[in-house]
Amino acid sequence: MSSLGSKILSTLPADEEQFPLQFSDKVDPSVVEVLRRCRKQLYGNATCASQGLNAQIILDISWERLNTGTWRHVDKEWRRVYSYGCLFKVAALCRENPSQQEILEAVRTCDMGLLMGAAIMDDILQVLVRILQNEISETSKDEEKSVEVVAKKLKTEGPRSPSIREEKAVPRIKCPSLESFSTNYLLPLKPVILEGIIDHWPALNNHPWSIEYLRSVAGFRTVPVEVGSRYTDENWSQTLLTVNEFIDRYILNEISQDGGKSRGYLAQHQLFDQIPELKEDIRIPDYCCLGEGDEDDITINAWFGPAGTVSPLHQDPQQNFLAQVVGSKYIRLFSPEDTDKLYPHQSQLLHNTSQVEVENPNAELFPEFSKAPYLECVLEPGDVLFIPVKHWHYVRSLQVSFSVSFWWS
Amino acid sequence: MRWFGFGFNAFQQIQTQNNPEYSGLDAEERLSSPTELKGHVNRDGRCFEFSQIRASWSRRASLHSDGFVNDSCRGVIKQSRGCRDVFISESHLTLAFLDRVECWDLQSSDETPSWTMGIDTQSKSSAVNLPLVPGGYIASKPPFFHSLSPHMQAKSLALGGEHVILLTATGAVYTWGQGSHGQLGHGGLLPEEEPRTVEALWGMKMSSVSAGGWHSVCISDAGDLYVWGWNESGQLGLPSQRLRKTSEKKTDQQEGELSQNSSTHQEEVFISIQAFPALFDVTPLCEVKTVSCGSRHTAAVTTSGDLYTWGWGEYGQLGHQSFSSSDEPQRVEFFRAQQLHVVGVVCGPWNTFAAVANEEGLAPEYPTKPLNKHGE
Repeated sequence: MSSLGSKILSTLPADEEQFPLQFSDKVDPSVVEVLRRCRKQLYGNATCASQGLNAQIILDISWERLNTGTWRHVDKEWRRVYSYGCLFKVAALCRENPSQQEILEAVRTCDMGLLMGAAIMDDILQVLVRILQNEISETSKDEEKSVEVVAKKLKTEGPRSPSIREEKAVPRIKCPSLESFSTNYLLPLKPVILEGIIDHWPALNNHPWSIEYLRSVAGFRTVPVEVGSRYTDENWSQTLLTVNEFIDRYILNEISQDGGKSRGYLAQHQLFDQIPELKEDIRIPDYCCLGEGDEDDITINAWFGPAGTVSPLHQDPQQNFLAQVVGSKYIRLFSPEDTDKLYPHQSQLLHNTSQVEVENPNAELFPEFSKAPYLECVLEPGDVLFIPVKHWHYVRSLQVSFSVSFWWS
Repeated sequence: MRWFGFGFNAFQQIQTQNNPEYSGLDAEERLSSPTELKGHVNRDGRCFEFSQIRASWSRRASLHSDGFVNDSCRGVIKQSRGCRDVFISESHLTLAFLDRVECWDLQSSDETPSWTMGIDTQSKSSAVNLPLVPGGYIASKPPFFHSLSPHMQAKSLALGGEHVILLTATGAVYTWGQGSHGQLGHGGLLPEEEPRTVEALWGMKMSSVSAGGWHSVCISDAGDLYVWGWNESGQLGLPSQRLRKTSEKKTDQQEGELSQNSSTHQEEVFISIQAFPALFDVTPLCEVKTVSCGSRHTAAVTTSGDLYTWGWGEYGQLGHQSFSSSDEPQRVEFFRAQQLHVVGVVCGPWNTFAAVANEEGLAPEYPTKPLNKHGE
């Protein structure tokens, strides 16, 4: 067995008896039988190939279940089965002197489990992916020594900022007290830009989020990417890429893009749960404690993309702090009181999204839209925009941009 | 009739291992070449052929010509004596007799079925064609019985992963259930609670239907095949992006460099979801006689006695002596090489079973002209 294989095995229970495989009766006994075979092989002396095949059977059958019915209705037990499949596959891949390709495949397998599965065995996939990443950085360290790494900053030129009219500008306030924020903005549900409240984030200080930094922390990790200019477009789709692939294809290569058709956006993804190292670079704003929810109930999403990504005018069911870390974004806000002038889509799926192209509205189809009052702003690095619950917002990136949103209640 | 099976075999549902020590760890868990199924031998040493085969993910139920059912996991089921049709899911076995239908819980050791319904043998509509039964159909788990309007005059019915397709005596096709992958064929992705006629097929008389995990197929009286639903693994026989991506990736790894012809792929139109029935040519040479869908693959028998398969093939379920998927129909050469005339096909979710005629000769591969002999 390879040293990586032994490292992985050492994170698992000492023997077969202590390795848990408990499932509800939602999971067919035949599937549990294959899981037991996987477990037996893990502690036995099976070949990689045979071990890998049984793991693949588990991945394939649970993948079929995850694609049956709507995602919300998929039983969590099947997501656990999927994670077990990932665990067994990683063990099989790393058993006998894995190649670099196989280690990368193992990292991808962990990510698939973290993205689609449910946590098993104290989040074992997080433990495994850390071991695998260390293995990669140890091998690539030797290679990199000869190559001089230029710590390139994220390229942030882009179209000129739209000029913001003063009477429509979102107010700005510097580090307000909890009480003053609560009285003046949270309770009356008024948007405001908070300045100076994230200056202490490592992401803006000692770990500035550059391309090189993101590559070194997360380059080989697989993330979901939206492709297409906006999610209401017909040929919009989602795909899975490694962070390196995403950066090469959509961040560095933005000039060659054909009118935004193939724009890629790492959007609304809980990247910080998937990659805890990056979570250490950010902090939950103190103002979130004014909500009634627990800190664990706060949803933190990453939004990373080139200039020109557009989130169509839409509303969300929670309070939102949108923190800008890299680049800038143009944002327009409408009050929920004016929903009748914003023409939400009729369909169930898009009823929280307006049909109007905010910066190029069709006045014939949507005559009331021009009567809706709005606020606007350009969000710069270090700014945090408070978007009150249900407030309609439209967002367009002006440069390569990385934002972090906090949804809280 | 002889039967051959190929594909997923992790539960020895195609080929049993003679080794009593077998633990499921070393045996062939997938078979990419057709393997003949052994008939069942009774106590007198007589061998009985299969008259019906049905498969769930891990099991195969075979109905023998002596009226007994064999479950690949448990052996001959003694309570099945006199059985006329059989259906199996992961959790239940359904047996149809002349006067009743029984559902047995496969996890229970009870000596009685968990559900029974009587059949009025005097009634005109007492015909059983599982999962269709008089007045309705049997689902794969409780509640078993679902009623159908008698006006529909159902002739046959197939259960997909989460949808149902029904053929009426007049040749009309109805579908209902989940539609998220276009599997209902109504043009949208919405679910239908009640049977809804597939309007695009209106006016064409259909003769058989089948349903896979997320796709549907039917054959017209004229022998034309129609397909619709999800094409994720090429199960519709239409260009599938995922398959091209996978094969490109494999080529890349083999050659160790970027694929240079990737630009040509961009011009191809890939189909992910086909929400309306599409007429589909399996082979220009002849018509389709029988068709069956697996979870993500499809198998069709032509009037020439050939078996064609396409879709997901990673467990060998396409029978092409490989573990690759294909988004184009390919003939299973094994049968032609062995001069065997395929007459029927039944897919399990991840495997395929083909019935072969005993003595019938094989039709010529191409329409042949009289040969010119030397000197004439």
